[in-house]
Amino acid sequence: MALLETRGLSKSFGRLEAVKDLDLTVEQGELRGLIGPNGAGKSTVFNLITGFDVPTRGTVWFRGENITNVPAHKIAQKGISRAFQQSYLFMFSTVLENVLVGCHMSSRAGALREFLHTRSARMRDREARNKAMEILDFMGMAHLADEPASSLSHGYQRCLGVAMALACEPTLLLLDEPVTGMNPTESAEMVERIRRIREKGITVILVEHSMEVVMNVCERITVLSYGQKLAEGLPAEIQCNPLVVEAYLGKEEA
Amino acid sequence: MRRAMLFKSNKWWLIPAFLLAVALPFFVGAYRLQIFIFVITYSLLALAFQLTMRVGLPRFDVAAWWGVGAYTSGMLMLKANMSFWLTLPISVLVSVVLGFAVFSVSVRRGMMVFMMFGMVFALALQQVFGSVKFFGGWGGTPQLPPVTIGSYVLNDKMWIYYLGMALLIFNLGVYQLLYKSRIGRAWSAIGSGLRLASSLGVNVVGYRLANVLVGNAFLALAGSFSVVYQAMIIPTTYGFQQSIYVMMYVVIGGLGFAMAGPIVGALVLTLISESMRAAQQYQPIVTGVITVLIIMFAPWGLLGVLRSRVVSVLQRLLSSRAALPDIPSSLGSPASVTAEEPGKDA
Ligand SMILES: Nc1ncnc2c1ncn2[C@@H]1O[C@H](COP(=O)(O)OP(=O)(O)OP(=O)(O)O)[C@@H](O)[C@H]1O
Ligand SMILES: [Mg+2]
Repeated sequence: MALLETRGLSKSFGRLEAVKDLDLTVEQGELRGLIGPNGAGKSTVFNLITGFDVPTRGTVWFRGENITNVPAHKIAQKGISRAFQQSYLFMFSTVLENVLVGCHMSSRAGALREFLHTRSARMRDREARNKAMEILDFMGMAHLADEPASSLSHGYQRCLGVAMALACEPTLLLLDEPVTGMNPTESAEMVERIRRIREKGITVILVEHSMEVVMNVCERITVLSYGQKLAEGLPAEIQCNPLVVEAYLGKEEA
Repeated sequence: MRRAMLFKSNKWWLIPAFLLAVALPFFVGAYRLQIFIFVITYSLLALAFQLTMRVGLPRFDVAAWWGVGAYTSGMLMLKANMSFWLTLPISVLVSVVLGFAVFSVSVRRGMMVFMMFGMVFALALQQVFGSVKFFGGWGGTPQLPPVTIGSYVLNDKMWIYYLGMALLIFNLGVYQLLYKSRIGRAWSAIGSGLRLASSLGVNVVGYRLANVLVGNAFLALAGSFSVVYQAMIIPTTYGFQQSIYVMMYVVIGGLGFAMAGPIVGALVLTLISESMRAAQQYQPIVTGVITVLIIMFAPWGLLGVLRSRVVSVLQRLLSSRAALPDIPSSLGSPASVTAEEPGKDA
């Protein structure tokens, strides 16, 4: 059984078919690249998988369970987390508080105990803090824990987005252009972290524009164009696939 | 960094504020004290408004639920001869159960529907209180029986004032516990990023519903409290206009100040309208203009102005080069008010 499977997944916005009959199968432990020209529908696919958009047609299966019409927070609780393409953060909270929201569901102590701040609730709170600090440490930003999120540099904002997604303890992690706008050093560090996330046993789907990054880190790649699957295979196969080359070159010429 | 912490933990003003509130009845006469009893009631209403702002839901049905509390207590005392104190839990229960019925429909449909639903409900409810015979009509209920403790009749303004203070402090205490807990963390998350919160597993609809119902419980208590100092219940007291005033209290006090904002706003506006008794017809205009000016020139409200003054003085005293944050992050932000994103409400 594949970890994630979409069957005939489609999404229309008015007359625009952003995603069209997409069959995508991702196995446990994979690091899958999802690429395509601007507007190909990559982010929309993420929205459909995570319950942020309702598909016009088709189904999404996660661990053999149909999650097509499940609300977003339940999907997150089932183990699919995402980092958004935009730096989407709780800007007025500190870095640590941002990550703690991600730890939210894995640290529940029961509403009443939580409310009354019983010892066990306080202990869980401390555990959540420790976990959040560990994750921040992993993302190389533990020293920024008490800074407001709005004060972070662009690179660190991207890192924080990934840290928050990790805090949910996902089985499947969806990363939407995590290195966009980063300088080469930051970008290299992020790529290294994505590798290590995957080594921890978390399945990753990576949307990325930088061919170098995708070819470098993914062992399987799916190419989207105009909402449809254009090609799928190993980086080497994708690189010399004439359809893919045309889709990208055609885009550049236009 | 350390200075910011020091500044944050600076709650010294709570003590003089509390002492002043306790000592107040010894300085003002019964008439003036009644004004402060109104201030307490309006603070309770404004706190409920501020509570739901926390999750990005402005509510304009505050006065209606206040009325539910008042009528529940009043009717039970009048028709069932029940003791006032016994009606308190019933009034909370009625408000929460009825609230659940209304809000479980509206909350899941997002901010706009929640707001409109609330206003329509408030309007309809006032009509019910006004025109259904059982409630006594537009002229009000019959004379309410006195509230007693044993054989003592609670009609001394001082003790009514202290009862209100106790209620207000209870309300603040519960909010404080809630805001500090995981529940409060989820609320703030929803308020400052709906979609982000749900992507992190926060049940937006569930937490919003819980939030609004906590507000309903305290609104009912405020309603029951209003029975103590009124001879009878008049439906227009609990009208739509009052809900708009409640919004103004919160804006004037400061949207970023979860506890003090509503109280300061209610205090200032009530004192202003009280000082304008002679020119009553202009009073909504004046308060309206003040609100608009505050929104335009001091979006953080009066407390925001005060705080930035204090901060700049502190800065000069400490001659610190690092700028202190204008508003500590823990206070939330006015941005959280408009943070509702279009699209699917999780
Ligand atoms: N909510 C929406 N309403 C209308 N159209 C939308 C919406 N979301 C996306 N689209 C359209 O669907 C198409 C696919 O968008 P999507 O964001 O999925 O592309 P993408 O592959 O992520 O592109 P990029 O590389 O620029 O991020 C685009 O043409 C976009 O304009
Ligand atoms: Mg995109």
